[in-house]
Amino acid sequence: MIFLLGALCAPVVNLLVEIEMAKGVYSGPLEQVDPNCYRIPKSYRADMRVDGLVFANARLMESIRHDQALEQVANVATLPGIQVGSFAMPDIHWGYGFCIGGVCATDPAEGGVISPGGVGYDINCGVRLVKTNLFLDDVKPHLRELIKALFYSVPSGVGRSGKYKFDPKETRKLMGEGVRFAIDRNLGVPQDLLHTEANGHIDGGDPEEVSDHAVKRGSDQCGTLGSGNHFLEVQVVDQVCDAEVAEAFGLELNQICVMIHSGSRGLGYQVCDDALAAFRDAPGKYGIVLPDRQLACAPVDSPEGKKYIAAMRAAANFGFTNRQLLMQQTREVFAGVFGRPWTDLGMDLLYDVAHNIAKLEEHTVEGKLKKVWVHRKGATRAFPADHPELPEAFQKTGQPVIIPGDMGRASWVLVGQPGSMARTFGTTCHGAGRAMSRTAAVKDAVGRRIDKELEARGVIAMSSSRQGLAEEQPRAYKNVDHVVEVVHDAGLSKKVARMRPIGVIKG
Amino acid sequence: MHELFDHTADLGLRIRAGDLDTLFTEAGACLLACMVDDPATVLARESQTLAIAGTDREYLLFDWLRELLHRSDEARMLWCRFDVRVTATGLTATILGEPFDQTRHLLSREVKAITYHGLKIEDVAGGFLAEVIVDI
Repeated sequence: MIFLLGALCAPVVNLLVEIEMAKGVYSGPLEQVDPNCYRIPKSYRADMRVDGLVFANARLMESIRHDQALEQVANVATLPGIQVGSFAMPDIHWGYGFCIGGVCATDPAEGGVISPGGVGYDINCGVRLVKTNLFLDDVKPHLRELIKALFYSVPSGVGRSGKYKFDPKETRKLMGEGVRFAIDRNLGVPQDLLHTEANGHIDGGDPEEVSDHAVKRGSDQCGTLGSGNHFLEVQVVDQVCDAEVAEAFGLELNQICVMIHSGSRGLGYQVCDDALAAFRDAPGKYGIVLPDRQLACAPVDSPEGKKYIAAMRAAANFGFTNRQLLMQQTREVFAGVFGRPWTDLGMDLLYDVAHNIAKLEEHTVEGKLKKVWVHRKGATRAFPADHPELPEAFQKTGQPVIIPGDMGRASWVLVGQPGSMARTFGTTCHGAGRAMSRTAAVKDAVGRRIDKELEARGVIAMSSSRQGLAEEQPRAYKNVDHVVEVVHDAGLSKKVARMRPIGVIKG
Repeated sequence: MHELFDHTADLGLRIRAGDLDTLFTEAGACLLACMVDDPATVLARESQTLAIAGTDREYLLFDWLRELLHRSDEARMLWCRFDVRVTATGLTATILGEPFDQTRHLLSREVKAITYHGLKIEDVAGGFLAEVIVDI
């Protein structure tokens, strides 16, 4: 049952649409540092404290210039306490305050700030990859049944609530415990904790700093996919680039995996919204002059900063637990379709990564070890081998980095490299990056059957949104292969394996 | 009048009106147009009143739309008619709408947040022009 999209054109016709992006062509200086990195010198603007450093090659930079994102990189460079540079990954595009793909580190000892715009509304939006011991030929005869079962069992879509409903007290407990909350209820296994960034729980979260409104928004949404660019995808490994690391990760050619992309749902959004309201007067109070209201920030050690950090960490724990419950529902569906327990299907979690987060981490800055707040807004941690924060399973290789692409082409597993620690505070890209606005994508889909086009590529897609498939069509995104090429060549993270989608459910 | 405009991953609201009361009324209608396929399917069956304090008209617009979104979220309501009075110190309003009914209302987008990005109210010939970007 694949939803038809012809009728979705009608509401679009009622809208007057201007292409906002064309108004934002960047005309400032751009110096090429190397084939995969450009600098916006801090001399560009008097308020910049550090350079902007954009990881991209010449081909990607051509399109990157055409929205406001580069100016946003310069804006972030004005933040107090910023260290080394204002960074952007090759999947850069315009965002709120920070661009998507934006990264910066601030030092509290130098008056460094925390900025909710540097985390994003969807706190701990992230992605996980679940392995199986199934191969393409095992799944092909059951694929339509599998995708249909996933679509009807895993809640997705606008305003959709899930089967797990928690009262406010339980929701706060969930935020306090993170993924452990689910494991204690037999919604996963202890191994899942080790294969989740931060073991599925960021210390220092305080659920009491999360507003009642946020808790209410999240109470029936844990274990739901959401809408927009969130998805659950059945994929097949179609390329192995690093055989040794792939083997260590348990990935091989033609293996079936499941990728789940979602975040902290309405709860996280409300935490960010509440923080932006609380931070409205903070810049003035602390003598911070901002080029963009959406960069609202406060010193890390201020009362406002501390409250936000406590709430953000709690919301992040909700995000990890959301993806845990999504995975558990997926495991149960596979068990039902294939008639065996999910443990017999080898459905182990490879790794779960956050790509909208701020974390206090230790990094070497100009030869000195410092604790800095690394903001990753549409960017993923990419710690290399021997990093103390990684579990034993990844000490020899470095951490897996899960990079979702678009639903027609590919996604990737990379591995963290020492170059990320040297160049970008342990960070790499997070996805393909949008190339087309949602409205433009819907207009582009007029007269086309996106579902049929996907099926012709071997992808069965089911969406609960009239516009969802059109907005998320492959053309709306950059080619993730091009994005990953840059971070690979720049030494931030290395290609391990590529997966192509064979089935996707979307909200 | 109101219209929606394009923004990379999200959506812009653009509103024009001869006075601030109408501007804020139209902004409410524009928000509904973001959320549902056909605003005409939403009926004015229930009403609520609200008051928001504020002296900065742009932040007041932001807070107005944010409050409408909160009241939509909390009680799963859709708001279709607005009677707004804007003063130098804030606004008062009566809002009318009905609970979300999935048999009649087709939700086209999830408006997740009102943002500060590009937030403006400008004096123009004939009245005011406002723009707000919403996260979807």
